[in-house]
Amino acid sequence: MNVFFMGKGGVGKSTSAALTSVFLAQQEYRVLIASLDPAHNQSDIFERGLTATPQAIAPNLAAVEVDQEAWIRVYLKDVRRQIQRTYSYLTAFNLEKYFSVIRHSPGLEEYALILAFEKIQKDHSHWDYLIFDMPPTALALKFFALPSLSLVWVEHLLALRREIIEKRELITRIKLGTKELERDKVLNKIVEQQKQYQRLKEIFENSEVTQIHLVLNPDRLSHAESMRIYQSLKEIHVPLHRTVYNKRPATESCVDIDPVFAHIPSLHFPYSETPLIGMKRLERFLKENEDEMNRELGVR
Amino acid sequence: MTHKSLAQGGPMIRFFNRVKEAVVEFLKAGDQVARSNAVGTIEQELEELENIFGVLVLGSYVGMPAPPMQLSLDLMPLMENELILMMEKVDTAHEPISQLFSVFDIG
Repeated sequence: MNVFFMGKGGVGKSTSAALTSVFLAQQEYRVLIASLDPAHNQSDIFERGLTATPQAIAPNLAAVEVDQEAWIRVYLKDVRRQIQRTYSYLTAFNLEKYFSVIRHSPGLEEYALILAFEKIQKDHSHWDYLIFDMPPTALALKFFALPSLSLVWVEHLLALRREIIEKRELITRIKLGTKELERDKVLNKIVEQQKQYQRLKEIFENSEVTQIHLVLNPDRLSHAESMRIYQSLKEIHVPLHRTVYNKRPATESCVDIDPVFAHIPSLHFPYSETPLIGMKRLERFLKENEDEMNRELGVR
Repeated sequence: MTHKSLAQGGPMIRFFNRVKEAVVEFLKAGDQVARSNAVGTIEQELEELENIFGVLVLGSYVGMPAPPMQLSLDLMPLMENELILMMEKVDTAHEPISQLFSVFDIG
């Protein structure tokens, strides 16, 4: 099960993700918490120097931090290597100089996160929960929209490529009397991309394998942004599983603020006077809110 | 007539064989020319389609709207021919009418 924690910057996504991870691990689920947020708060919360290699935090709980820049570097290096291998006139195109600029191109950040997500999913498929601490709204929404958006392009490119191949085959048949047998490499690649994005789209849209937890605070700005996140996710058919009402004052509830979230299960975390840093404080906070956690997240 | 000369054929047979081969070659060449002429326009159309495909996928490198960056980058290593074609098209881009005339063999 993939659980994503989303929300406006500063609402407590990382803390909520950490609390949920610790709670689930206490229930004897095997949990891996992965920080996809370049701010990397998990290292501070767990007071550990986390890296891309999973590190045991507690029994049943491990944590990783994704280095987005490293993923972009590795990806571009791979593309460059393939170009060098297949192009005979590389210098004529002067493509080399573009690669130093391409790494700053819009779109690569979210793709790096997608690559990291796929790798974590592949390597840790046997874990019960993969908890993802997401970056702030803009990048997180781009991450979820990337498969749908890419599929629109892929389907158009696929149709155009098929038309090209059809024409090519027609020419070969008339000229040589035989049909072109060699498979078009570009077509193969586009089909491969289509499968990749289709798979990701299905993962994001399937509430049995993916849960989105929207973290919000009892203030108007956080609430307004949460509404926009909710609408944006709806547009790309990604269901919202739960709202996490963080830093809740004793007398107020999320449902009182907006009835839109009334039908969505919600987890309430009260405001904590002391910063929730370190395993002991997290555990103490969970102990104090045991009933709420048990009611919302269930016990095995 | 010996056994050997029978197998090779007499001078008349050799002459007819040569004529037959020449006729076959002529017809083959004619067929090739006819086939090439028949597909000339389709080849131009194919070239245009490949150019459009190249511009669509790799357009970001010349300031055109483009698909998500990773789609272009994933396809780029396989698109050397399209890149060459796009560069060639730059030469003829300013003379679309003359290109059209050459496609229809006018003038």
